[in-house]
Amino acid sequence: MWTFGRRIAAGFALSFLLLLGIGMVAYRSINSLTTTSRLVTHTHDVLEHIGEMVSLLKDAETGQRGYIITGDESYLEPYQAALTGVPGVIRELRELTADNSNQQKRLDAVTSLIAAKLAELKQTIEMRRKGDVEQAAKLVRGGQGKKIMDDLRQVAEQMNREERVLLKQRAEEVEAAASTARSTIIFGTLFCLVFVIASGSLITRSLSGQIGLAVKHVQSSSVELQSTANQQASGARESSTAMNEISTTISELLATSRQIAGSAQRVAHVAEETSTAARAGNQTVEKAHESVSSIKRQVDLIVTHMLDLGKKSQQIGGILEIINELAEQTNILAINATIEAAGAGDAGKRFAVVADEIRKLADRVGGSTKEIRTLIEEIRAAVNTTVMATEGGTKAVDLGARQFAEVTTALTQITGLLEATTEAAREIELSTKQQATAVEQVNVAIADVTKASKETEASLTQTLQTATQLTGLSHDLTRLIQRRA
Amino acid sequence: MENLLAIRLSGDLYAIRVSQITGLTESRKTIALPSTIPELLGVTGIRGGLVPVYSLTALLGYNLDRSPSRWLALCGSEETVGLAFRDFEGYLKIPSTQVYAAIQDNVIREHVKDVARAAGVVRAVVNISSILDTIKKRCGDSRVSKER
Repeated sequence: MWTFGRRIAAGFALSFLLLLGIGMVAYRSINSLTTTSRLVTHTHDVLEHIGEMVSLLKDAETGQRGYIITGDESYLEPYQAALTGVPGVIRELRELTADNSNQQKRLDAVTSLIAAKLAELKQTIEMRRKGDVEQAAKLVRGGQGKKIMDDLRQVAEQMNREERVLLKQRAEEVEAAASTARSTIIFGTLFCLVFVIASGSLITRSLSGQIGLAVKHVQSSSVELQSTANQQASGARESSTAMNEISTTISELLATSRQIAGSAQRVAHVAEETSTAARAGNQTVEKAHESVSSIKRQVDLIVTHMLDLGKKSQQIGGILEIINELAEQTNILAINATIEAAGAGDAGKRFAVVADEIRKLADRVGGSTKEIRTLIEEIRAAVNTTVMATEGGTKAVDLGARQFAEVTTALTQITGLLEATTEAAREIELSTKQQATAVEQVNVAIADVTKASKETEASLTQTLQTATQLTGLSHDLTRLIQRRA
Repeated sequence: MENLLAIRLSGDLYAIRVSQITGLTESRKTIALPSTIPELLGVTGIRGGLVPVYSLTALLGYNLDRSPSRWLALCGSEETVGLAFRDFEGYLKIPSTQVYAAIQDNVIREHVKDVARAAGVVRAVVNISSILDTIKKRCGDSRVSKER
């Protein structure tokens, strides 16, 4: 689709071309008319020169005849004028008819005739001057001069006739050229007028339609722009408010970052003190570990002694079994002795008393043996309990030793971790300071953004006004187009 | 005064009068013999002679237990007989007033005529004479059956 400028330019270009064509045709017609007019003038010049030539010769003949009659030199003035003027006229004629060979030939004839005439005039004038009037009159009456003049008039008439033919032809050409120029100007102007009116109407309608459509688009776009500008202005105000809140929050964040930096510094200090305490604790734990190892060795010795005690108790138990067995056997023997004493009657009564005492003694030995066995069992149980407890203690000591080793390892790790913590706290402090600096920069940037938001709000307000004006302009333009349409 | 040997038979408390036995010894290796008397456990060597060994528990009517017994009470004046039992608890010397005649209805065993109270415990007193009579009777019946 062509643009408005292109259409208008095309319309103007076509109009210009038409005008140019009409102008060129008119120019050519006028040029032709001018040329033809010049040729007509030229023909008139030729005719005038021919007439002048004939007139000069007539004047010369008249002067010759007056001088011959009167002898007065003043009558020779026309003759003298002809003598000086004819060559110039002939020369001009020759130049004017240089493009016409027929006229050039006639001019040759005319030149010969003029020379003969002038010679005849000179001869008669000389005769008169010598006083020979009769001879001079005789020559005039002889008619030679008249014949030359007649021939000259005839040739001049031929030249005039040809020039008149040419004049007529050129007059017709002038008329034709003038007619052509008139027609070209009239019809070309009318055609141009019609074309300009048609193209103007066409362009106007096309432009009105498209501009109207575009104006409607502009109108709707300006309404949308107005709405968008309203929304953006509202958004810019909200953004400005949010930026203010962000700025406040960032200020609080800055204060918090400074507090964190201070806390990180204190943490680093505490971590250093804790690391020192952990190293001291590590040394203490190592000493405690050595003490526990010593306790373990003592407990092992106690266990060995307890096991020996258990073995000894078992040996005592074995001996007690023998004693108990002996006591039982003694008891049995005493019982049997009692039985035998009872069987012996009165003789055995005293023996029975002894046997009874032996049996009682055996009973007491048996009872004591049982008590000792019980005691030994208790001792063995106590030893076993002690051994088990000691083994439990040994295990606890081993566990304690392992735990002390683990505690030592843990304390070493804690020391390392505390050093790492100290380093990390220092890095945190440094990072927090950098963060505080960055937050300050962000705060400045936020302030700039807030300012930019306010400026955006102001520019959006201007945009809104511009959109409103644009809407009004589009309405005006629509009314103009509709009025035109 | 009554001299008694406190024993335990299949968990029940019994006593044997010392006056009715000729000795108490630990049981030794007992050689079993083919016999029609189920209470006869075998013979053993005591003081240079062979002594038949009977289960006192079985003679008192308990089920026969052929597991080794530790103690052997010797009795009998003409022919020594060994009465085997497992648990010997001690020698008791109590007043005669603590020995009572067992009421027949309360005596559940054939060879128990008296009961003795010692240290707050009542024990059935085994009548060894009755036991010996029973053994003799069984032995006699056994000989008769063999002669037949």
